[in-house]
Amino acid sequence: MLFVPVTLCMVVVVATIKSVSFYTQNDGQRLIYTPFPEDTDTVAQRALNSILNATIMITVIIVMTLVLVLLYKYRCYKVIQGWLFLSSLLLLFFFSYIYLKEVFKTYNVAMDYFTLAVIIWNFGVVGMMCIHWKGPLRLQQAYLIMISALMALVFIKYLPEWTAWLILAVISVYDLLAVLCPKGPLRILVETAQERNEPIFPALIYSSTMVWLVNMADTDRPKRNSTEAASPQQETQQAVASPAPSSPSQDDGGFTPSWVSQQEHQLGPLQTTEETRREIQQLPSARPPVEDDDEERGVKLGLGDFIFYSMLVGKASAAASGDWNTTLACFVAILIGLCLTLLLLAIFKKALPALPISIFFGLVFYFATDNLVRPFMDKLALHQFYI
Amino acid sequence: MNLERLPNEEKLSLCRKYYLGGFAFLPFLWLVNVVWFFREAFVKPAYTEQLQIKTYVKRSALGLLLWVAVLTTWITIFQHFRAEWGEVGDYLSFTIPLGIP
Repeated sequence: MLFVPVTLCMVVVVATIKSVSFYTQNDGQRLIYTPFPEDTDTVAQRALNSILNATIMITVIIVMTLVLVLLYKYRCYKVIQGWLFLSSLLLLFFFSYIYLKEVFKTYNVAMDYFTLAVIIWNFGVVGMMCIHWKGPLRLQQAYLIMISALMALVFIKYLPEWTAWLILAVISVYDLLAVLCPKGPLRILVETAQERNEPIFPALIYSSTMVWLVNMADTDRPKRNSTEAASPQQETQQAVASPAPSSPSQDDGGFTPSWVSQQEHQLGPLQTTEETRREIQQLPSARPPVEDDDEERGVKLGLGDFIFYSMLVGKASAAASGDWNTTLACFVAILIGLCLTLLLLAIFKKALPALPISIFFGLVFYFATDNLVRPFMDKLALHQFYI
Repeated sequence: MNLERLPNEEKLSLCRKYYLGGFAFLPFLWLVNVVWFFREAFVKPAYTEQLQIKTYVKRSALGLLLWVAVLTTWITIFQHFRAEWGEVGDYLSFTIPLGIP
């Protein structure tokens, strides 16, 4: 059930890349996180530059993750929430403004400021409401998909070629380490949240069901007498396992340095909730059985995963010489990776990083298809030899 | 957010907040209100708060229709007369199409 949103996100990104040339143009602008240019004279220089860029980016991400974990540990919730709120504000208004402008330019449509203001205002405000407050589930999911796509587009535009591929590779390794190692920051985060019986993160988590929000609303009610205490308790525990999808931490695309990495590290490895939910459900059977088992089995995926998957497919469609072959191959590879990750999740029942397997397959397929399959197909087509 | 799980007073309160919010130049919010609460207001068997929810949904629909009318009119006028307005047209435009107007 996660396939539909991931597919949708990727479709949006690929469609935009193919139609709106803005996102594939190289204006020479770069994020401040990737200061080394890639249009250098020698290949060695280029490789060095891209490695340096990737290193800087990853360092920023690691630092931001640590800052986040520290903030969470010392209960500076307000800071985290404010940060997320501002970044989602930026994403919903500013980036969608740019996106709309480019789309209108591409299709040569006249648009006046008044209508544009109404559109952006509506889109942004309803988005903020859906993500941070209460809104219909489908709309919230749609908004999360849209902002993931916007972020992925920003990355595709502003990260130079080799840097992007390197970053993808390194961030999957980092994801693996951060979530699985005992001292990994994300693991610490998950465990701290579990200890405190709180929702993991007011961050970007895409959830396929929304039962949790309702349960959490229940826990806000004042404590009743002891006989009823059991059910709020149960609900609280269930609510723990499902972080409400709140504002996606936004990234301002490097125009101001503050939040890019925060978003990235937040987004990357968050596939924890399934695990905590299962663990809690395996607690002593004194608890009454859960009412709606179907609804609570919603799977959650961090928005960072969406973003990096879409970024991979988008870059493949933007850069590859094999065009649709490569794009489709990467798409299939990512879905297979996602399948495997979900399978592993069901087996291990603990927090798992969602990036490594998919990104690894994606990268392998991309380079293999681009360099091996495409020339092969071209030659076959040239000689009109059908297999 | 699953409406099923909410008690009726909260549904009413949510509907009301969406209705009031729509007055801040947010026809989209009214649209969401109508679509989301349509079932609650018209399909479900009656309950105490349903009448009020019905009123809110109806008024949201009305406001939405009004906005759609205004926007459609304005967009039609703008697209049609933009080229003729010369400078004012350009000033109002966010993106100006290239080529023959």
